[in-house]
Amino acid sequence: MPELHRRNFLKLAGASAGATAAAGCSDHVEKLIPYVVQPEEITPGNPVIYASTCTECSVGCGLHVKTREGRPIKLEGNPQHPINAGRLCARAQASIERSFSPDRFHGPMQRDPASGALRPIGWDEALSQVAEALGRNPARAHLLGGDPGDSASRLLDRFAEATGLGGRTIYQPFSSEVLLAASERVFGVRSEPLFNIEAADLVLDFGAEMLDTGPSPVEHQRQWAAARDIAAKPGGGARLVYAGARLSLTASSSDEWLPIRPGSEGMLALALARVAIESGAGGALGLGLLNGPLAAAGVPAAAKSCGIPAADITRLGRALAQAGAAVALPPGAAVTSRRAIDANAAVLLLNQVIGAIGTRVQIPVPERSARSRASFQSLLELVQSMQEGRVDLLLVHDSNPAYSLPKALGFESALSRVGMLVCFASAANETTALADLVLPTPAPLEAWGDVRPRPGLRGLVQPTLRPLHNTRHLGDALLGIGRALGEQAQAQLPGGDFLAWLKQQWSGADWRAALQRGGIYESPRPAALRFDGSNIAAIEPDLTGSGNLTLLAFPHSLLGDGSGAALPLLQEIPDPITAVAWESWAEISLSTAERLGVELGDVLRVTTSAGSVELAAFPRGGIRDDVIAIPTGQGHSQGHFASKAGQGLAGTPRGVNVVDLLPPLVDHGSGGFAWLIENAEVARTGRHRRLPLAQWSDNKRGRQLGEAVTLGALAAGAKADGADGHGDHGAKANGHGGHGDGHGAVHEIREPYNPADDAADAQYRDTFHERGEAVAKESPYRWGMTVDLDRCTGCSACIAACYVENNIPRVGEDESRLVRQMAWLRIDRWVGEGEATLETGRVHPARSRERLGQVDIRNSPMMCQQCGAAPCEPVCPVIATYHNEEGLNAMVYNRCIGTRYCANNCPYKVRRFNYFDHQLTKWPEPMELALNPDVTVRGQGVMEKCTFCVQRIQSARQNAAARGENIADGEVQTACQQTCPANAIHFGNLRDENSEVSQQADSPRGYHALHVLNTRPAVTYLAKVRRGEVKS
Amino acid sequence: MASHRPRGASLFAVALLLGAAALLSAPARSPGAASAAKAAKAAEPASIGSICEAQEWKAAHPGQALPAQFAEFDRPFPTLSACRSHDSAWDEDAPGPNQPIPFSHKHHAGEWGIECLYCHTGTDRSRAAGVPSVELCMGCHENFPAGYDQLEGIRLLKQYWQDGRSIPWVQIHRLPEHVKFQHQAHVRAGIACQDCHGAVEAMDKLYLVPDTKWWQYGLPAKKLEMGWCVMCHRDQGASQDCLTCHY
Repeated sequence: MPELHRRNFLKLAGASAGATAAAGCSDHVEKLIPYVVQPEEITPGNPVIYASTCTECSVGCGLHVKTREGRPIKLEGNPQHPINAGRLCARAQASIERSFSPDRFHGPMQRDPASGALRPIGWDEALSQVAEALGRNPARAHLLGGDPGDSASRLLDRFAEATGLGGRTIYQPFSSEVLLAASERVFGVRSEPLFNIEAADLVLDFGAEMLDTGPSPVEHQRQWAAARDIAAKPGGGARLVYAGARLSLTASSSDEWLPIRPGSEGMLALALARVAIESGAGGALGLGLLNGPLAAAGVPAAAKSCGIPAADITRLGRALAQAGAAVALPPGAAVTSRRAIDANAAVLLLNQVIGAIGTRVQIPVPERSARSRASFQSLLELVQSMQEGRVDLLLVHDSNPAYSLPKALGFESALSRVGMLVCFASAANETTALADLVLPTPAPLEAWGDVRPRPGLRGLVQPTLRPLHNTRHLGDALLGIGRALGEQAQAQLPGGDFLAWLKQQWSGADWRAALQRGGIYESPRPAALRFDGSNIAAIEPDLTGSGNLTLLAFPHSLLGDGSGAALPLLQEIPDPITAVAWESWAEISLSTAERLGVELGDVLRVTTSAGSVELAAFPRGGIRDDVIAIPTGQGHSQGHFASKAGQGLAGTPRGVNVVDLLPPLVDHGSGGFAWLIENAEVARTGRHRRLPLAQWSDNKRGRQLGEAVTLGALAAGAKADGADGHGDHGAKANGHGGHGDGHGAVHEIREPYNPADDAADAQYRDTFHERGEAVAKESPYRWGMTVDLDRCTGCSACIAACYVENNIPRVGEDESRLVRQMAWLRIDRWVGEGEATLETGRVHPARSRERLGQVDIRNSPMMCQQCGAAPCEPVCPVIATYHNEEGLNAMVYNRCIGTRYCANNCPYKVRRFNYFDHQLTKWPEPMELALNPDVTVRGQGVMEKCTFCVQRIQSARQNAAARGENIADGEVQTACQQTCPANAIHFGNLRDENSEVSQQADSPRGYHALHVLNTRPAVTYLAKVRRGEVKS
Repeated sequence: MASHRPRGASLFAVALLLGAAALLSAPARSPGAASAAKAAKAAEPASIGSICEAQEWKAAHPGQALPAQFAEFDRPFPTLSACRSHDSAWDEDAPGPNQPIPFSHKHHAGEWGIECLYCHTGTDRSRAAGVPSVELCMGCHENFPAGYDQLEGIRLLKQYWQDGRSIPWVQIHRLPEHVKFQHQAHVRAGIACQDCHGAVEAMDKLYLVPDTKWWQYGLPAKKLEMGWCVMCHRDQGASQDCLTCHY
C-alpha cells in the first residue's frame, strides 16, 4: 500500500488544493446547489455545506454535508429537518467512511469461471451480459433487495414491468412488517405509527429501544430530553419505564426497569390496560374492552408470565390512568417472537386506552414506500422457488442476504441452483463474494437519490463527492440493461438517466428549494381510524429449542443489522453498555455465569436447533437469569474491517453472526422474521478470549464521577440556599451529602467560575514555568463546557463526531485489546446503586454492580477537562502542553517528544499516545481522504487529547474578526455538542455571564469531576437527577 | 532585521563570492545580455522569425522601419514587454523553479498593475489565498489578439484550457508542516502581500526572496520558518500563543 505522508496530506489540504478544486469540481459546481452560503465558486480553504439526507437507516435524518475543495469531511444534522433538528447519531457520523472504504469496487467485476476470482470487466459488456441473461426468459429473473430510496424503488417497479421480470422482493433485516400488520389489525390502517415523546409525561418502552435502535432514535432522544428538562420542569418532567429482559441503553436511561421475560410484552400491556381501565382510563371504550379482549388478561397471570411482582403492574397501571399524557412504544426487533403481532396489537390497544392515539401516537395516512412493502414471507417464497430451480437470474441490490439471512434458510444452497447472480453493491460483502457479476454502485455521498421515510416527508440525497471509482447508480445500470433488451422494453422505460427520472418524480415540487432545504417537510395527515379490539389476545411467545436460556438476539447499537460492521469507526467505538469493541459477546447474568463456572472473556458454546457459535461471555448484573443476549452485526467473512482481512486473516469472520442461531420462522400474523424464537443451550469451552474493552469496572468507588442527585434533595437544596455553611462557594450547594452516593445530594459541588481564579491558576503554573506576559494577558474568553448527565443517554454520537472532526485514528482490534484506543472523548458508564464499595487492590475486571430491576446508571462523557491547574502541564519537560490565555490546556504536537509524563499525571486519563503512524501507514487507501484538513494528523510518538475543537474556535475567530466583533455566544459549537441528540453538551465563554454555558454551569446540579484534586476543570458536569420509580 | 546579520555575515560573504564566480563562468544568457547580442547583429536582421524578434529589433533600432521581407512579423502584439517577460519567466539562470507556464508576475502585477486579489481571490476571505483557475486566466486571455498565440505561455495556457486540465504550478511559499496559516487574518491586520512574499510585482519568475526566510542566525533557510513568523508577531503585538497556529 503506498504510504500517505504527512507532507502529501498537507499538500492535499493546503493552498495547492485551489487548482484541484477548480479542475476537480468544475463539473460539481454545475451539479450542486449550495445551501447555507451560495458562493460564486468554491473558495479554497473555506467549507461549503450541502443539504442532503442520511441513508444509513430508514429514519431519513437530514444532513448538512461539510465539504472542503470538493471533498466531504464531516456530516452534521440539518437544523431545519423535523426529525433530527440538527443532530445526528453515531451511525450517521461514521457513514462518511462508507465513501472512502477500502472494500469498494473500482469497476464492474465478473467471476472468472476457472479461478473463481472476480476480474474487471467493462460496463458495456457487463450490462449486455445481464441483458442477455434477462432476455432469455424474463419471467425466470428476480429482483431482491432492501430500500434503494423512493424514486429508485419506483424505477425498479417500472423496470420490472417493462422487462416482464418474474418478481421483485423487498427485504429488510429489521423491518416494520409486524407493527404495520398490528396497526391494520387494531385500527384498520396499514400504517406505521409515529410516536411523540415530547408531549408525554409517562413513557412505557416495551423493548422498542426508543433511545437506541428504535423507530427514530435521534428524534426520540431529543424529545425525551426536552420532556424531562429539569430546569423547565421542577417536578422532573416525563418518566420513562422500560420493560425488557436486559438493561439496555434505553433501560439505562429509564426511571424504572421492569425486567420482564422476553416475549411477555403483550401480556404486560394487556394487564396494564386492564388496571388502567379499572382505575378510570378509557371510558366507555375501556369498559367494553374489559368484557372483551381484556377479560382473560389478569394481573396475576401477567405477573407470572413476565416474571415480575404483580404489585408493580398494578402500580404502573394506576399511574397510567392518572398520567395526563402517557404513551407506550411497541416491542422492537429483538423481542419479535412468533406471537409478536399480538404483543404489538396489545401495546396499540394500551395506547388507545390511555388516550394516546391521535395525540402522542399519530397514525398517518400511509404512503407507498419500499419499507412498507418489505416482506420476509415473500423472501421465503423466493428462496423456495430458487431451490426448485425456477430462478435463472437473481439481481440483488441494497442488501446482503448471504449475511443477513439465517443459515438454516439455505439461501446459499438455493443460490447454487440459480443460473446467474448479479449484485449491485458499492463495497464487497458476503453476497458479492458469491456473485457472478458485480455492478458497483456509487457510495451514498456520491449519488443522487431521495427517501420518503414517513408520510409527508421527502428527503433529497445529493452528491457531494465526485465518484471515486468507475461506478453507476442502480437506476442508471438498470436503465442500461433495459435499453440493451430491445425496443419494446426501451419504450416502456423512461428516457434520460436516473437524475432525469428523479427530477421527474419531484416535478411537482420546487427542485431548487428542495435541494437547498434538503427536501420537503410536511406534516403527515392523520388517517381515519376504526378501532377494533376484538381480535387482540396476548399469548406466550412459543419458543423452540431445548435449551434453558432464552436467546435474545438484539440489534447492536452501532453496527445495526451488520451494515455498520464495514465502518472501522463503528467497530472502534465501544458498545455503550458493555464497552466491548471489535468483537461479539454473549451477555449472561452473574448467577448463570457462576452456574456455568465462567468469567468475563471465557468462551461459551451457544447451541440452538439452527446452529452453534462460540463467543466470549460477558457476565453482568443487568440481565435476567433465564436469558442469554447476543448482539447482531458481527460475524462477517468479507471486508477489510468487517472481517479480520485487515489483520492479515482474509476470510476469518470477526465475532459471530447471531442470525446463524435462528431458524427461519415467522410471526404468525404478519409474516415478519421472528428474532425471538429459540431457547439456547450454553456450555463453557474452557477457553478464554480477552475482549477489547474500554472500561473494566462500573464501580466509581466513591469518586466524584457520574454524580446523581435525587429529585427531593434537589428541591430541598434549592430552598436551603447556602444553609449548610459549606464555605463561601457553597452558596448554591445543597449540602455535603456524605458518601451516600446518589441518595443524597451532589456531594461535592464545584466552585462556581470566578475570573479571579484564573490569576491564581496562572500563579500556580508559574511555579513551574516562567511563561512571561502571554498567560497573564487579559483575554475576553475563557472557554468552558457543561455536560448534563441528566440528558446523556450514552448513545456515543459525540464520540463518533469527535473521531471524524479531529482525525482520531481507529487503531483496530489488536491495539484496542492492548488498551490503546485513541478516543479523545469516551463515555464512562457508572453504576451508582448502593453504598460505594472501596475495593482494594487491582480488580481487573471488576464484577458488574448492576442489579436486576434497578436502574441507576450514570453515563459520564469524559474528555480533557482543560483544567485551570492542570497536572499534565508542569510535568512536560518541553512545554508541549501549557495553558493559554483563553483557558485552554494547549497541546502542541510538533513540540511533543513523547515522554508520556502528562498522560501518567492526568487524573482523568484523557490523554492518548500515538504508538504508531496510524493514519499514515496503517489506514488502507483511500481512507485518508476523509481526514479533516483543519486538524493536524498526529504522527508516531506524539501525545494528543481533546482541544475543545480549537480549530472551530479559530475559524469562528476569523469570522468574528471580519465583523469586527468578539466571538458571539453559540458561534462555536464543538463537534460533540453539535451532534448530541439530547442536547446534553453546552460550550462557550465562561467570562460572558449571559452565555448559555455560564447559565448552565450555574446550575445547582453542577460539579467538577474529581473535585477534591483541585484541578479547576473548565468542564462542569450537571448531576443526573434520580426521579425514582413511578408512583401511583 | 539588519541588526541580526552580524553572526551570519561571514557565511553570507562566502555565498556572495561563490555566486559571483558562478556568474562570471556562466555564458551570458540573461535577458538583457540576449537582447544586447541581438542588437549587435541588427544591421542584418536575417534571423527574424517571430513578432518577438521583430519587437526586439525595433527596440534596438529606434526610428527604423522593419525590413519589408519581415513584414508578416511587424505587428503590435505581443508587445515587447510581454515578449521579454515571457522569456524571463523561463530563464534557467534566474532564481526559483521553472513553472509549467512561463508566467510573469512582474508583467501582470507590476506592468499591468493587476491587484493580487484579482487572481488570488481567497486572500481576504479564506485561510488559503488560492491559485486562480484556468478559467480566470482565460477570462482575459481568450480575448487577446491572435498574435499572442506565438508566446509559449499563452499557447500552453490555451492548451490546458482545451484539455480541461489544471496547471500544475510549483509551490514557492511552502509553510513547514504543522502550521495553520490564515491569509485573511493577515490581510485584515494590514500586512502587505510583499511583507511575506517579497516584491512579487518586480519578479518575472517567482522565488523565495531572502527577506522571506529567517536570517536571524544567518542560516541559509530553504523555507519559511517559525522564528521569522514569531519575530513579526512579536513586533506587531500579535498573538504568540502556540494554539494560534498549531492545532
